[in-house]
Amino acid sequence: MTFLKYIPKLILPIVLLFSLQACGEDDRSQRDDQEETTEAGLTEFELEHGIGPVTERIEIDDEIDQELVTKGRNIYEMKCEMCHNMEGRMVGPQLGDVMEHRSPEFVMNFILNPSGMTREHPVGQELLQEYMTSMPFQNVKEDEARAIVEFLRDYKRNN
Amino acid sequence: MRIESKIGMALGALMLIALYFMPFWTIDMSAPQYPEGIGMYIHIDDVTGHKRHDLQNINTLNHYIGMAEIHRDDFPEFDIMPWIIGFLIAFGLLAAAVGSMKLVITWIVLMVILGIVGLVDFYMWGHEYGHNLSPDAPIRVPGMSYQPPLIGCKQLLNINACSWPYTGSIFIGLSMLMASGVVYYEKFKIKKD
Amino acid sequence: MKEQKSKTLRGFLFGAGFVAIAAFLFTGCPSQQGMMDTREAAQKVYVAPGEHDEYYGFFSGGYSGQLSVWGLPSSRLLKVIPVFSQDPESGYGYSEETKPLFETSYGFIPWDDSHHPHISQTDGDADGRWIFINANNTPRIARIDLKTFETKEILELPNTGGNHASSFVTSNTEYVIGGTRFSIPYEADLDVPIDSYSDEFRGALSFVAVDQETGMMDLDFQIVVPPYNYDLGRAGKGPSADWVFFTTYNTEEAHTMLEVNASRYDKDFIAAVNWRKAAELVEQGHGRTVSAEYYHNYYEGNQGYAINDIKDQVTILDTREIDENFIYYLPTPKSPHGVDVDPTGEYIVGGGKLATVIPVHSFSRMLEAIDNNEVEEVIDGIPVLNYDATIAGEVENPGLGPLHTEFDGRGYAYTSVYISSEIVKWSLETFEVVDRIDAYYSIGHLMITGGDTKNPDARYMVGLTKTAKDRYLPTGPKQNHPAQLYDISGDRMELLLDFPTIGEPHYAQAIRADKIVDQVAQIYEMEENDHPDALLRIADNRVERDGNTVHVYMGSTRSHFRPDNIEGIRVGDTVYIHLTNLEQEWDVVHGIAVKGANNAEILVAPGQTKTLKWEPTRTGIYPFYCTAFCSALHQEMQGYIRVSAEDSDVELAWRTGTD
Repeated sequence: MTFLKYIPKLILPIVLLFSLQACGEDDRSQRDDQEETTEAGLTEFELEHGIGPVTERIEIDDEIDQELVTKGRNIYEMKCEMCHNMEGRMVGPQLGDVMEHRSPEFVMNFILNPSGMTREHPVGQELLQEYMTSMPFQNVKEDEARAIVEFLRDYKRNN
Repeated sequence: MRIESKIGMALGALMLIALYFMPFWTIDMSAPQYPEGIGMYIHIDDVTGHKRHDLQNINTLNHYIGMAEIHRDDFPEFDIMPWIIGFLIAFGLLAAAVGSMKLVITWIVLMVILGIVGLVDFYMWGHEYGHNLSPDAPIRVPGMSYQPPLIGCKQLLNINACSWPYTGSIFIGLSMLMASGVVYYEKFKIKKD
Repeated sequence: MKEQKSKTLRGFLFGAGFVAIAAFLFTGCPSQQGMMDTREAAQKVYVAPGEHDEYYGFFSGGYSGQLSVWGLPSSRLLKVIPVFSQDPESGYGYSEETKPLFETSYGFIPWDDSHHPHISQTDGDADGRWIFINANNTPRIARIDLKTFETKEILELPNTGGNHASSFVTSNTEYVIGGTRFSIPYEADLDVPIDSYSDEFRGALSFVAVDQETGMMDLDFQIVVPPYNYDLGRAGKGPSADWVFFTTYNTEEAHTMLEVNASRYDKDFIAAVNWRKAAELVEQGHGRTVSAEYYHNYYEGNQGYAINDIKDQVTILDTREIDENFIYYLPTPKSPHGVDVDPTGEYIVGGGKLATVIPVHSFSRMLEAIDNNEVEEVIDGIPVLNYDATIAGEVENPGLGPLHTEFDGRGYAYTSVYISSEIVKWSLETFEVVDRIDAYYSIGHLMITGGDTKNPDARYMVGLTKTAKDRYLPTGPKQNHPAQLYDISGDRMELLLDFPTIGEPHYAQAIRADKIVDQVAQIYEMEENDHPDALLRIADNRVERDGNTVHVYMGSTRSHFRPDNIEGIRVGDTVYIHLTNLEQEWDVVHGIAVKGANNAEILVAPGQTKTLKWEPTRTGIYPFYCTAFCSALHQEMQGYIRVSAEDSDVELAWRTGTD
């Protein structure tokens, strides 16, 4: 008789799984059944650190890794600078102070999943309304996004 | 001859005038790549294409198998036939005017003879074109000749060629029918009366 | 009297009836369409929106000079890859990067006639690395990369007139072949009377080696042969993999009115060439080096300007000078056109276009005939084998004008028949015709999916026909050439679809999509952009002057150019705008066009750098803009260039937006 009480818990994931297959939803809703959701159906983590491949806090040493900064700067100069200034808005917002009000994970998720962020994240939606241009994915890998974060941290520290 | 027979005979003779305005024979050709068909009309004084450039296209096709080109000027018949038809019309009208049954019958016999002569002539031309092939032809199929049918259809390589009387011949037929009707009426009907 | 009148009337009525019957008799019957139930056919070709086709089809563009890519069975046009003709749509042949591809020993040639695409092979199967295609008029072979679907290399063939027997590959893409359809004097620029044909003119069979890593082509050697017309070629397979076969016509050696003069002999030849032996002979030093100017145009890296490598000599093997036999003539009826080798490599089928049978040679019997020395005569050192000794069978009643044959790997061959406008299916066992179906109209090549390989994936067949006539809504005296898609998976061939194509497709090839789809690039990686004038750091956008030459290093992203305001250009300058598309997202293309530029637009794929050359002739303000609808703010993607007088002292300056 005891297993009967598990039935509702079993049914919910199954139903969710089916709805997933039917519509090919993104992987975000897969987590909904596991975690508490907040407004807009996002998890606390997603709300704070963005939607994308980075799904948990990453360890960041307080010390700046200069090698990583150089790597990040090179990518920034090749793939970001068309639309972003460090100081002053351009096509997109200025990035000089971004590390002050966004977490590293948030910045990485924005770089790695810009269309998802502008579609589903309240901050992304707000930014899209303000800047009227959705940020393109620039074929940046996860470790490269991490390097860009390091470059931005370094900039913030020195300016 | 009664007046209505005279009129009938005269009308019959006048029907041949149609031959000056329309072809009396057609050769239709169809092939897979000619869904619209291609062909030629034979008039008493000319040979023409079904469509404006058909004759030219037929000549172009024929050269692959070595057939000679078809040109109006190669046929002396086209110079003679208008005179013959003119003579027949005049003769028919004369027969009607005179009201002589003998003349009417002579006219019919003449028409039949000329018809047979025409068909024989047509056959000979067909034979000539179909067999007298250039030895330089790109396509030479052993044992193959390309004589068009006298009347009816025949498969010549990929082309199905059909030879039939055309509108002008209907008037020839009607003309003959009228004349024959006059004879029948005069000889059999009136005698009975 | 009343009764008589009515009788006269009856006569007229009878006449009228005769007219009516005659009218009925003279009306032809409608022609037959050999098609299955339309609903069933529609289902077979229906690929739902968003779904992908099973096969890539590559159709040559013929006189368009290009190569078109189709999805089969839906028969949707996916792309036209420009190859031998300038393409203002993409800027191919107009951009500085691609212009050098068009250089030949005769100068810049903006057009050619492309006939036979052939996909690279490994062990006799199409592998989807590259596709080669020939230029017929000014003889060349191009290599198209099937990762980017772009033309990467063009090699000119010297000593060749009309490179028609091309560009077929051997079983492991060791060689791509070329052949001269119009024999010409062998020495370059030899000025001789045309009627010295038999003495001075020679044929050339080209063997172009292919680097297995890079695909790079190199003209390894040419075989000098008697002055016939070498029409088509195919490599052997399996046991015959070391051989290639060329058809010849005009063994009469006519040089005028070939229509008549080259149709005299009852038999011409299929030339069987043991390429492996020929290559060995060359390696052993039996070849002779002669001078010949020809261009080899290719890219050195991933990107950049194509370069012209001008060659000045070629190695030849002259059959008159070499004692060993490496080439044999197989007599074949009446000016054969196609020569096709079945998947087992045993049967070599000739398409005697003026013949009344389809001759099928046997490879094993050919080897026996060579062993038994069944030689009729020797022409310029080439043994002519006995027809009866090599022939395996003749297919009777194949229709009129058999041209090309493909195979389904299930024991059947399919031959296109031009004059009777049909495809005949016949058995390789009995050499008897088992099925036939109409083509609309006048079929040239036909293609079977996965065909001309050891393992054809024979579900569909495409017939490439020469005239559309009444098949579609009429579009004037000149209409696009049609193709028909047939289902050949059953016993009978069944027509599924009839669709217009681009240019004049000659041959086509189709390959299973899963062999290619995973390798197709979505972007050019910016990290791998090795273009010497690429904008790799956005901050490096700039304008530089070197005398009268001005270089603009420009970047683009949605939705602006950087720089987008340029001053200090002068009349008489030659301006090179190097535009790097900094996007890294699939299919986000930017383009550039400058008012008054005597040039085409240039389209730039994501991560790519392309250069527009512009020579302003008048002072003024010149707007330029993005020609590719790239984003919501595409209409804002524009800029201005100020052109001042020749002696002006306006300083060179460039700006973008906020700074």
